[in-house]
Amino acid sequence: MEFVQNFPFITIILALFSGPLCSVLKSRAAKRVNTAVICLVLAMSVAVLVFTLRTGEAYIYRMGHFSAPWGNEIRVGVLEAFMAVFFSVIMLLCMLGGRRELTAEVEETKQNLYYVMVGLLLSSLLALIYTNDLFTAYVFVEINTISACGLIMIRQNGRSIEAATRYMIMSLLGSGLFLMGICYLYDLTGHLLMSNIKEQVALLAASGEYHIPLLISITLMSVGLAIKSALFPFHAWVPDAYGYSTLSSAAILSSLVSKGYIFLVVKIFYRVIGFDVIRESKVINVLFVFGVLGMIFGSVNAIRENNIRRMIAWSSVAQIGYIYMGFGLGTTAGITASLFHILSHAATKSMLFVSASGLTDVSHGETDFFGLTGSGYRNRIAGVAFTAGSLSMVGIPLFSGFISKVLFASAAYDTSGKLIPAMIALAVSTLLNAIYFMKTVIRIYTPSHRAGIKTDTRVIAMREQPQKAVVLMLFIALNLILGLGSQPIVNMLTQGLEMFG
Amino acid sequence: MGIWILLPIFLPVIVGILLLLPPGAGESAKKNQDHQSDSSLQEYPPDGGKESLRTRFARLIGTLDESPESLSRLHKLTAAALIVSALVALAAAWSGDRSFTWFELMEGIPVYFQIDDVGRLFVTVISLVWVLVCFYSFVYMGHEGNERRFFGFYLIVYGVLVALSFSGNLVTMYLCYELMTLTSMPMVLHSGSHESIMAALKYLFYSMCGAYLGLFAIFFLYKYCDSITFTAGGTLNLALAEGHTGILLAAIMASLIGFGAKAGMFPLHAWLPTAHPVAPAPASAVLSGIIAKAGVLAIIRVVFYIVGADFIRGTWVQTAWMTLALLTVFMGSMLAFREKVFKKRLAYSTVSQVSYILFGLSTLAPTAMEGALLHVVFHAIIKSVLFLTAGIFIFRGNLSRVDQLEGIGKKMPKTLWCFTFASLALVGIPPMSGFISKWYLAQGALEANIGVFGWVGPAVLLVSALLTAGYLLSVVTNGFFPKKKEAQETDPLDGITEAPAGMLIPLAILAALTVLLGIFPNPLIRFVSKIAAAVL
Repeated sequence: MEFVQNFPFITIILALFSGPLCSVLKSRAAKRVNTAVICLVLAMSVAVLVFTLRTGEAYIYRMGHFSAPWGNEIRVGVLEAFMAVFFSVIMLLCMLGGRRELTAEVEETKQNLYYVMVGLLLSSLLALIYTNDLFTAYVFVEINTISACGLIMIRQNGRSIEAATRYMIMSLLGSGLFLMGICYLYDLTGHLLMSNIKEQVALLAASGEYHIPLLISITLMSVGLAIKSALFPFHAWVPDAYGYSTLSSAAILSSLVSKGYIFLVVKIFYRVIGFDVIRESKVINVLFVFGVLGMIFGSVNAIRENNIRRMIAWSSVAQIGYIYMGFGLGTTAGITASLFHILSHAATKSMLFVSASGLTDVSHGETDFFGLTGSGYRNRIAGVAFTAGSLSMVGIPLFSGFISKVLFASAAYDTSGKLIPAMIALAVSTLLNAIYFMKTVIRIYTPSHRAGIKTDTRVIAMREQPQKAVVLMLFIALNLILGLGSQPIVNMLTQGLEMFG
Repeated sequence: MGIWILLPIFLPVIVGILLLLPPGAGESAKKNQDHQSDSSLQEYPPDGGKESLRTRFARLIGTLDESPESLSRLHKLTAAALIVSALVALAAAWSGDRSFTWFELMEGIPVYFQIDDVGRLFVTVISLVWVLVCFYSFVYMGHEGNERRFFGFYLIVYGVLVALSFSGNLVTMYLCYELMTLTSMPMVLHSGSHESIMAALKYLFYSMCGAYLGLFAIFFLYKYCDSITFTAGGTLNLALAEGHTGILLAAIMASLIGFGAKAGMFPLHAWLPTAHPVAPAPASAVLSGIIAKAGVLAIIRVVFYIVGADFIRGTWVQTAWMTLALLTVFMGSMLAFREKVFKKRLAYSTVSQVSYILFGLSTLAPTAMEGALLHVVFHAIIKSVLFLTAGIFIFRGNLSRVDQLEGIGKKMPKTLWCFTFASLALVGIPPMSGFISKWYLAQGALEANIGVFGWVGPAVLLVSALLTAGYLLSVVTNGFFPKKKEAQETDPLDGITEAPAGMLIPLAILAALTVLLGIFPNPLIRFVSKIAAAVL
């Protein structure tokens, strides 16, 4: 066994223990520890990715060398390692991009607590990515929920506490359903390790025994995770949670937390239940319908929204709908498209949040549309980044959003009967995206003296907020990389998915 | 090889972006003048006290403010960049077939450029009109202001259009098509008024709606075609398409309607009459003359270079396409006839005239297709003349309505003469250019085996030509021979003089072309018949 193979476990533990460490440090030191840990996790994940790419197969890492049923396992392949790399990159960029807001909006004495939460969140995300044990997954789902709640309410104003409460209620409901699903499955199969469950489920499916309990278990797990990742119609908590929390929280929540759950869904489909059983269970048809509805309703609500942060949040609801629609297609190509959209959306949405905050900075902190008039001139890099993000969301070629749309469309061909609804949903939602994003882009580039409103003439040059400017430029670069060099990444996803099950 | 194709695309785009970048290109220069007393300005100087790269670049080209000297430098720079890139583009286009794969967007989907006859035709027309209108705008934009932004985008759109003409496959074309929409939009909302922003949004909405219908078709064609590279005669794999004809035809229809949005075809034509009156006149001229033709180019590419004419011949798609085109021809002329705002009237005229082209293509007959391609060239030139004239009327006396133009021929005879030539050409009076294209269109429709449309088509074209005469020549007659009115105290046209030479010369060149191309059409006809023969 090579030393690199220990890294996934080490990253989880490192992130987990950085939390308690931060809680006793001063906020400044906690910040440094946090950044260092994320960078370290990133470096180690890259090493793991290189290792898995070289060996070309997944490996199983048994904790303490105990075998099942007593031991706990981690399973690492290309897909897992790649996700870990990507998530830590986005996490790093979100933290750097929102640093100024964090120091301004959160009480000095509470700032180190924020880093506790971030550490726990990162650890739980990594665990969700790597774990091969269903119950471990549940435990880290809970850790994830609690730390996400902390991220939302760290600002401690009325709206964010309300949002956190809402999030808590919905999320616990989701966890509860998920737990019930696991219990049923444990009852049916007698295992908690994913690979073992899959063998038993295959036997059950072949014999036709316990058909209904199995179906119920699948449904409960899917619905539970769907609630937690804000699939329409369980999205009610999204606009407040993303709209009123501090910048880093909004960016992390939208681009990482929901994606962690979605990754778990993929894992359950492939590794726990087996994709054939899932396909026969018709659960995916339900996900397809809700995904399509989410694509449309999320965008409609975004059009009606006047607050830029909430608009971006509504757009997230629509994008989550895309991802579930991809699952609903019921093909490996569909899952690949969804996985690519996870990347594309994570890179774009966090960029939109960071650039939107850059725009509100130069508009007296106004977040409503009218107040943002002309802000693209006052903070150029934020304006450019917002435009790039919008174009990507709308699906203009060169940016990542176009690639995921092409992947979705070409995945839809191989399905029977879902081609037309998927195509229509893609077309309609793209159009709706275009309406609200281009409306905003035009608004931020409308000279404010023409619109007859008085705003301050404060112009932010790049070097005034160098950190944010660099982060935004990195985000744009990331988007262009996903948009222009998509093929290696898609190949990696496909390869990873093959060794995933 | 690649440099010849990439240079004319990237040179104008890069110069355009550089023009947009320096402080003052947008808001800050104006704002700094507005709020000089504002204390926050001293607190936050735009460049932090030090000289930034942008400022240094601006100093280099000297376009920091809106003084006459820096404006003339801006004009020189724009003209130089545009002429150099136009020359390179033409040289690249006319020196043999070239192709160039830039990079792979996805597996099997490269960004690929290739130069063929259709691309050659379009890039020549585009370059000609773009350069002449550019010289006109140097004078015209003086009264619109914010010139650097206008010329920045003007250059960028030129680069994108060259890329569109040179596109070698569907996805590259789609890419350029979307970029064209996005980069031409700022020209519509140039004035920044509420109406212009709403018009720009409408333009964007219709274009995107159309582009996504087109994308919908591209998804299908990608599946059922051997390759997405443009090949004369089409690449559709008939064995693969077997049994999926219904859905494929529906997709093709979607692309016709979608790309037809840019070409102003019913039902997605409504952006034209909204966008044109609010845009500056040169922008209207190129929107109508060139960008509407980009929709035609996209349709030609999809129908003749991917699907193949035989696949849709005789199907409901052809019938529907012909019906829509004829309906648009008639409707556009009628709406233009009763429209009183001059630029809006011209916009409706574009709606009608571009559908002549689409009708010619929809017959899928060689002669009609030749007519259509000829009309692409002629209409681009004619409509530019008409809009530039409208711009001169607005520039000199803010005359935007038709009834204000009574007696204008006495004040600016040269301008009105140019307008007269272009009008006659558009109506189709021999020996003007429009006559040739319409002759071929009607002949082609009669020859083609398209049933009842064989005679309905030419009849509608004729009625529409009469209406065209009605709405254009009435301006001419009223302009030269004003009706006797009761003696008014003040002449509304008082103090209006002939257009400045800077505007008149490009106008006259274009107007002369409308006549000359009608008298010596043979090289052009030979060229377009080569294209038609290759694809049909």
